[in-house]
Amino acid sequence: MSTLLNGRTTQWQRLLARNSWVLGVWLLLGALIVWYSTLIPVFGQFQIVSISKNSLPLIYLAIGQAIIVIAGGIDLSLGSLLLLGNVLAARFMDEQSLGVVFLVAVGVIVGLALLNGLTGYVISISGVPDIVVTLATSYIWSGLALWILPSPGGGTAPEMRWLFTGSPSGIGGGYGLPILMIVVPSLLVYFVSRHTRTGLSLYAIGSHPVAARLAGLNVRQAKIVSYAIGGAMAGLAGLATVAITGTGDPRFSVGATATLNSVAAIVLGGVALTGGEGSVLGVVATAVTLIMLNPILTAMGIDSNSAQVIQGVLIAGVMMFGGLAILLRERRS
Amino acid sequence: MKVLSKLFALLLVLALAVTGCAAPPAPVADGGSSAAEAPAETSGFTVGVSNTLVGNGWREQMICAIKAEATASGVVDKVIVVNRNGGPTEQIADLEGLISQGVDAIILNPTDRDGLNAVLEAAIAQGIVVVAVDQAVTAEGAYVVTNDQVAYAQNGAEWLFEQLGGAGKVAEMRGIDGVPADTDRHNGFMAALANYPDIEVVAETFTGWDPSVGAQQTLDLITTQEIDGIWTSGIDYPAVEQFTTANLPYVPIVGADNNGFVKQLLELAGDGLVGAAVTNPPAIGAVGMSIAIDALTGNSPSLVTTLNPEVIATGDTAGLEALYAPDQQPGWSTYVNIAPYTHYNGSADVSACKGPGE
Repeated sequence: MSTLLNGRTTQWQRLLARNSWVLGVWLLLGALIVWYSTLIPVFGQFQIVSISKNSLPLIYLAIGQAIIVIAGGIDLSLGSLLLLGNVLAARFMDEQSLGVVFLVAVGVIVGLALLNGLTGYVISISGVPDIVVTLATSYIWSGLALWILPSPGGGTAPEMRWLFTGSPSGIGGGYGLPILMIVVPSLLVYFVSRHTRTGLSLYAIGSHPVAARLAGLNVRQAKIVSYAIGGAMAGLAGLATVAITGTGDPRFSVGATATLNSVAAIVLGGVALTGGEGSVLGVVATAVTLIMLNPILTAMGIDSNSAQVIQGVLIAGVMMFGGLAILLRERRS
Repeated sequence: MKVLSKLFALLLVLALAVTGCAAPPAPVADGGSSAAEAPAETSGFTVGVSNTLVGNGWREQMICAIKAEATASGVVDKVIVVNRNGGPTEQIADLEGLISQGVDAIILNPTDRDGLNAVLEAAIAQGIVVVAVDQAVTAEGAYVVTNDQVAYAQNGAEWLFEQLGGAGKVAEMRGIDGVPADTDRHNGFMAALANYPDIEVVAETFTGWDPSVGAQQTLDLITTQEIDGIWTSGIDYPAVEQFTTANLPYVPIVGADNNGFVKQLLELAGDGLVGAAVTNPPAIGAVGMSIAIDALTGNSPSLVTTLNPEVIATGDTAGLEALYAPDQQPGWSTYVNIAPYTHYNGSADVSACKGPGE
């Protein structure tokens, strides 16, 4: 700490040191994109749109997971909430007017925020570990999703698809909107988490809940807020999914994969699973990175079965590298 | 010190990024050369394959059949397989990845009937031949190759009801509730049943297409009630094994073209086993490849191809022996040669699972 706070280090060095991991993962993503562009015959608008729009659901889910983990929790139900948001949207937006579609979209985001806020409330009053409660709710939400939409189907308005994918048909649009849909929600959550009293209290309770309570913070409220933000982001991810595919898909495996990927993305993005540390901005880069791994490995001509192994080894490798960095840091200070 | 270690971390990440960037000159060269060659009219094709169910024997055999047919055709240079578990979201990303790689044709087993249409139509608009196998898509201009699942159940059930002389108690052992193939098969079964008023369905189970579940259900059925015949949705050889286990006389049974079942039909015929193998070939992937090649070389195949299931039953020993593949696992689907579409050399080529240049 002393090196950080004394006058000899410049503002620039401090900023760099604080955000080295975030900067690192963004540089890694940049390098991956450049590399990918050399692996395929043409790299243009189609590819940029493809990567950015396909990343949207995971980006949203990972941002939500990041906020919950920063506040000291973990949410295994986010993928199921994505399913729920997806099928609610597909079921009730199908062949409706734009006004209804808009209301359903708002309803999904607010509704899932309330539902997951309730989960946060249950966790904080019951004292049951987050992982247990959210594992239970994950089954409830995916069961509910199957009840709302028993088999894949439904639809949405072209405007909805346009908003997330840049094209009313979900493909062939410009990259402006998909990138905007990455940037705006990410920066919004980043701002709330770093520059508001509520946001900073999330870091405080995640870092040391007892100290936070003694300092006069409302720990229960912060917990509920973190889960509500997670729910809202899962709702947004569900909307992005219906925009990309144009249908709802209630299959449990889809949600389970999404949950696991969201945890992988936050760990790679520098959010400590112990809470209180990390930034939403790094998570955005790693979510895109995870989405890009598949096309890259395929383009390299790596056999699809080995691709999964390589993906796992990469995640394990980066996580161990992160652990090593922390270990080194703790030894030196 | 903290700054130093953080800078160290940053440098390592950078190094990782840079090596990542510089390491692969070989793949780059590869991509470059295949990109430079304009797709020829008659050969040198690159075909992409998209599958979203991993670890399923039927799907793995489907992919191997696609590769084997590509190799046997001699006109395909490269097969790119994208194979992972997922839903429409993942498959759309995979299909866009294949389009980005500049493939000439895409063969897919779709996760959704309508959800992939936009990306498939975009591919077709770029001149890419799109072939959906096993399950249909509604995209305009896409080729669709399916096994007729209604006929699969109907033909098999009719054989069974005839075998029982039009009267008796039967069990219907289905697959997974709500899956389109299961629904179609149930409809086919019911259609056959409508013509046989004296056939009574005394049990209906869902095996989940899981051999161990199907085996347990069969054992429960045959030891607790009187059954004259069994129709299965493909969990066949585990069901037959239960009769041996329980030391009960065999009843007529309908299954799929699984190697284990075909073997039982041949070897246990002397012990009184009577049954019918109905074909539901994963080699449909090879049919898809064959149609893709036809479309690429300007032979304009028809947009819809439906394979009619064949019933190969006890009594047709030559037919069963032609199916039986002694070197393969019990779960191997034996009906691999589908005239006039496939050109490889039977189960041996398919199980080798080699695409062009592999």
